Amino acid sequence: MNPITMTAFKGPIVEETVQLTLLELCQACRAEEAHVLTWVFEGVLEPVGESPQHWRFGGNSLRRARMALRLSRDLEINPPGVALALDLLDEIAMLRARLQRR
Amino acid sequence: MKFKDYYETLGVPRAATQDEIKRAYRKLARKYHPDVSKLADAESRFKELGEAYAVLKDPEKRTAYDQMGSEWKPGQDFQPPPGWDAGFEFSGGEFSGGGSGADHSDFFEALFGRQGGQRPHRPEQGQRQGQDHHAKVLIDLADAYQGAQRSISLRMPMLDAQGRVTTQDRKLDVSIPKGIRAGQHLRLSGQGGPGLGGGAAGDLYLEIAFNPDPLFRVDGRDVFLDLPLAPWEAALGTEVTAPTPAGPVQLTIPPGSAANRQLRLKARGIPGAPPGDLYVVLSIALPPADSDAARVAYQAMALAFDFNPRIHLNG
Repeated sequence: MNPITMTAFKGPIVEETVQLTLLELCQACRAEEAHVLTWVFEGVLEPVGESPQHWRFGGNSLRRARMALRLSRDLEINPPGVALALDLLDEIAMLRARLQRR
Repeated sequence: MKFKDYYETLGVPRAATQDEIKRAYRKLARKYHPDVSKLADAESRFKELGEAYAVLKDPEKRTAYDQMGSEWKPGQDFQPPPGWDAGFEFSGGEFSGGGSGADHSDFFEALFGRQGGQRPHRPEQGQRQGQDHHAKVLIDLADAYQGAQRSISLRMPMLDAQGRVTTQDRKLDVSIPKGIRAGQHLRLSGQGGPGLGGGAAGDLYLEIAFNPDPLFRVDGRDVFLDLPLAPWEAALGTEVTAPTPAGPVQLTIPPGSAANRQLRLKARGIPGAPPGDLYVVLSIALPPADSDAARVAYQAMALAFDFNPRIHLNG
């Protein structure tokens, strides 16, 4: 086995195997807890669990939370606007994918 | 170093009001935001917009920038005139709204120093976990089929001994797991920013994207291939060899195959649980009637078929 094989870094695929706590999600996208709470209440992020301490975010929350953060920071969009933008972007992505299938 | 015309970047005249500058920035920022735009250069355009706006929205910086005169042309070789900034103090307020901050051009840094996103880190008491970092990795579709190792180069902000932020180039060998899809993230524990005061290092998140492939389109875990057929192959059926990302396969084309028909090769998409499918999208290519023999063949077809493709147009 060559030495490069020995030193390659391995890591889990976040979307498939990782669940994030509120704290981990904030740390991973450098968002403030208050922002993440707002996005949950706007339905941008949908954790499972009763209360913020018990919330678990699916791996795809990482991408959504980072987009939400960038959109609100770069374009100064308020949380309902971020929620709308993300829904529309999802829809555009779905339509683009459907075009691709033809 | 090249001169940058921040007014041109935002498409406003030099006499624009602060409101006009803000409006122009907002409009262009929405258009070129990398999360919104699919343009290949959206990210660099957006960065340039952010840099231009960071200067022009700040009256102090704008005045200093204007003071250099309007004779400069974009792209012209540029050195700041000595003492050009006398009388200004760039206290470096927050750069929010001006893009993501860090990573301004040499031109910007020569004028205004390194600031913005790279806030100076004060030495802090106690332990603190290092920051999580993010980077994008481009892989080939075949890598998702077989798994691969990729050597990636990262520019990472690092703290030096004095607690200042410097960027450092870092090479990392990463194992790309079989079955990964575009848009997914790999998490490498402890490969992010260093911790402070003995705190744990942050994590490194790598977002996966595919290099464009000349043959295959990808949607999630499904893969698509366009397969052209000759009219007689589509009509009579045939056996063809079709490429797949995992190597060629033998395909049976059923008789009477129409254009746009999709043949699904189960579990030949991106591997996983469940694996994706490979869709072969049929199209029909007409041979050109560019010789006597070809024209005769087409005429023979016209005689042989009682075929009106427009029958549904005649009510």
